[in-house]
Amino acid sequence: MTARANRLRWLVSGESAFPWLAPLIAMLVVFTIYPLVYNVWLSFHEYAPFKRRVEPVGLDNWSALLSDDRFWDSISVTFTYFSAMLIVQVVLGMAIALLLDSEQRGFGLLRALLTLTLVIPPAITGMMFLLIEDPEFGVLTWILERVGILDGTNPILATGSTALLGVMLADVWQWTPFMVLIFMAGLRSLPSEPYEAAMLDGATSWQTFRRITLPLMGKVIAVAVLIRGIDLFRIFDYMFVMTSGGPGTSTYTLSLYAWQQTFSFIKWGYGATISLVSLILILIIANLFILVSKVRW
Amino acid sequence: MMRMLVAYMVVALFMFPLYYWGTTAFKNAKEIFNTPPNVWTFSPTVRNFEEVFGISLGFFRQQEVLPGGGNFYMAPRLWDTIVVALGSTVLSIIVATLAAYGLSRMNFRGRHAFVGWVLSTRMMPPVAVAIPMFFIYKNVGLMDSYLGIILIHAVMNLPLAVLLLKSFFDDIPKDIDECALIDGATRWTIFRRIVLPMAKGGVAATAVLCFIFSWTEFIFVLTLTQTGLKTVPVVSSSFVTSTGTAWGNMAALGVAATAPAFLFILLVQKQLVRGLTLGSLKE
Repeated sequence: MTARANRLRWLVSGESAFPWLAPLIAMLVVFTIYPLVYNVWLSFHEYAPFKRRVEPVGLDNWSALLSDDRFWDSISVTFTYFSAMLIVQVVLGMAIALLLDSEQRGFGLLRALLTLTLVIPPAITGMMFLLIEDPEFGVLTWILERVGILDGTNPILATGSTALLGVMLADVWQWTPFMVLIFMAGLRSLPSEPYEAAMLDGATSWQTFRRITLPLMGKVIAVAVLIRGIDLFRIFDYMFVMTSGGPGTSTYTLSLYAWQQTFSFIKWGYGATISLVSLILILIIANLFILVSKVRW
Repeated sequence: MMRMLVAYMVVALFMFPLYYWGTTAFKNAKEIFNTPPNVWTFSPTVRNFEEVFGISLGFFRQQEVLPGGGNFYMAPRLWDTIVVALGSTVLSIIVATLAAYGLSRMNFRGRHAFVGWVLSTRMMPPVAVAIPMFFIYKNVGLMDSYLGIILIHAVMNLPLAVLLLKSFFDDIPKDIDECALIDGATRWTIFRRIVLPMAKGGVAATAVLCFIFSWTEFIFVLTLTQTGLKTVPVVSSSFVTSTGTAWGNMAALGVAATAPAFLFILLVQKQLVRGLTLGSLKE
């Protein structure tokens, strides 16, 4: 036995993981590190339309951020969207997961149906809700006018105060099921003993949820929040097809603002700078969250 | 019983937009633009599908002019989407199975940090990659090419594929590899002949998710194509024209493009949660 163990140790000792990882490393370096370096370079340059070339501008792009109201608006829209959507989707997702967490017949079908929203291209989801929220013939508009919430003068997506809500609706619809599925899997893997003990002690269902389910679900919730949070912070598709950031800056997220600066306003360097801000913020937030929540891969 | 009823109502609420979009694909213009909206009553037509895919389905022919009226022939765009999704999935899976095997089976200094790096590439906002890639692709001539989009979609899916496959490989006992090693098998043989076949369910589930994420991706295709290929999500905004939006045609394309994805997602229900959490939660 020791001979075999020794032989194994000898076989494994000279091994290198590098050949296995080389293609991955090559692709990630070419498609993430190199663009990142290029982006940093770009952020110190700007396209000069009259000279038709890119010129170094030093720190101009970075200092311009400070006095750019639209940039600060987009920071605020991004954080509003990010936090509102996380809270709504976690709470709603948990409620629906608890509702659907049953061994009864028929619940499996409901769970399977909910997964369908996840595979629709977000751009097409945006279009779906553009139709549903259309000011003239949208079905949601019609319902809201019937019950007196809307009066026909304020189109949902063209009114500053409701446009972001209109976009959020698409997000809630598409991604709450994501939370539901993950939470349901978490609920099913919980041990049954604490619940039996709680029942003997006569705990109410709220107490059971608050004192047993929530703490035991900690890791599951943390993973779901991390993954959803990353996607929420870089949200782009819905705004691009539904509102293009408007009206005003009410639905301008960082990603959308960066993209538009580069490609619509031909300010290549400035767009790159904004996208870097977005990158830095998400890396800080996500890594802090990983550190605090101790989520591990 | 009460709970069942509420559960059905909640799910029905989530299914309503799908129903509404799905039926829009079978409505004519007059029904789409009707107020109050025709939710339950309409006379089904396949004209939208005929127009979008340039085929004749022969029945329910109706001849209203759609707003935006022009030519929304989209069959080539569906083809583009399929090529890109298949190509990027194959590439992702090849690179990721190799890397996942290395990460799962071999010990090396900094392995944890390496996994962290792979994960951090998943955090990059697509726009922060798309902007520089636009200029890089312009310089190297990958703009508007299948290869260019396939490469970027493959990279986009790599963190998911690597972490997920690693979690599937971790489920296979290391003893199996070690016994085979002692008996003289090479790592490559073990990978090909033992580990890959044992993890084939996991590989299939990973491939399905990569396919779906490429299928639904928006910003890279939007940025890195101009006149050549375009995938379905990106082309959907072209149905909005100055004279109106061709909702029926757009919905028809949407229905045709999401139906296969529905099938795929139903096939991987068992591994779905593990996939959505990049392998960190197992059911």
